[in-house]
Amino acid sequence: MSLLHYFEALEASPIGVFVKDKAATFACIEAVHLMALALLGAAVITSDLRLLGVVMRDVPSNAVTDQAHRWFKVALTVLLITGFFMLAGVATKCYHNPFYWAKMITLGIGIVFVFAIRAPLLRKDHAQLHPVTLKLVALASLTIWFLVAASGRWIGFSG
Amino acid sequence: MNELLLKFAEAIGATWISVALHESFYMYGWVESIHVITLMLSLGMLIVIDLRMLGLWLTDVPASRIAQRLDRPMLIGFSIMVVTGVLLYVGIPIRTTQSLWFRIKLILLVVAFINAWLFRRHMQASVGSWDVAPVPPRRTRVAAALSLTLWAGVVCCGRFIAYDWFDCGQNNPAFIDWAAGCIAGEEGGQHG
Repeated sequence: MSLLHYFEALEASPIGVFVKDKAATFACIEAVHLMALALLGAAVITSDLRLLGVVMRDVPSNAVTDQAHRWFKVALTVLLITGFFMLAGVATKCYHNPFYWAKMITLGIGIVFVFAIRAPLLRKDHAQLHPVTLKLVALASLTIWFLVAASGRWIGFSG
Repeated sequence: MNELLLKFAEAIGATWISVALHESFYMYGWVESIHVITLMLSLGMLIVIDLRMLGLWLTDVPASRIAQRLDRPMLIGFSIMVVTGVLLYVGIPIRTTQSLWFRIKLILLVVAFINAWLFRRHMQASVGSWDVAPVPPRRTRVAAALSLTLWAGVVCCGRFIAYDWFDCGQNNPAFIDWAAGCIAGEEGGQHG
């Protein structure tokens, strides 16, 4: 079975039908997706701006990033669930949309970056790490999540 | 009133900047994208502050410190939202003026602003009392929960503007046409 068949099967599944049945269903899922995006922004931007020394310089950066990571996981979970539902409604369209694939690639990079590189590194005492390392991690993180959000928005423009 | 608003929207729609925005696929798309992505900054910072006020985030840091330190990035975020939001309106003025969701969104924004303004005064009066408490008093938590609810409503309405469910010129219930400010005999919905 080719990849396209899985997308077609998803769109024909009860989930796909449920999402497609009414425009309002899709729109409400989109709205929740956007709220979770704001929460993801809250977690990513507060920790990255703290690591860059832009905000909350009088709050220990380990405390900021540790607590932000918990909310990041909440936001990412909601984004993945609502994102899956949105995909189910327009799966075959997404399959032929280059921005969908651009987003999936950046998202994959983002998830690997966060859980394999960023989180393990930031769990260490930041005072023991090189300041440039921390700043580079922050810049990479901001760039990746900007690209994920931007390519996601363009899926809708180029359907 | 609605006739006046429509005249205003028509005047905006006739300007070169409106035509340019409307006709440029990439410019309109990028203004829209920046509006959506800046949610991560504007609402993002607001969420951190509100979750602190609910006693759910950075509870070991004084509440006023979180609010003060994140105030500037949040206001930068909201400034970008206002600028891109105005441009989005200028790009599609007539349909937006007669959009039920746009009207509800503006009302929610005004209520959220009043809530934030009252909250700020409440905050300033409280430095040195509940400021360091991990979980702030009930009144503070209610204001923070109200803020998050109002903004969730703003996000929903903002997203719904793009849908044509209640555009003028369709067979809407009279109440919807009234709330959206549709003008009788006016085509609506199709232009701009």
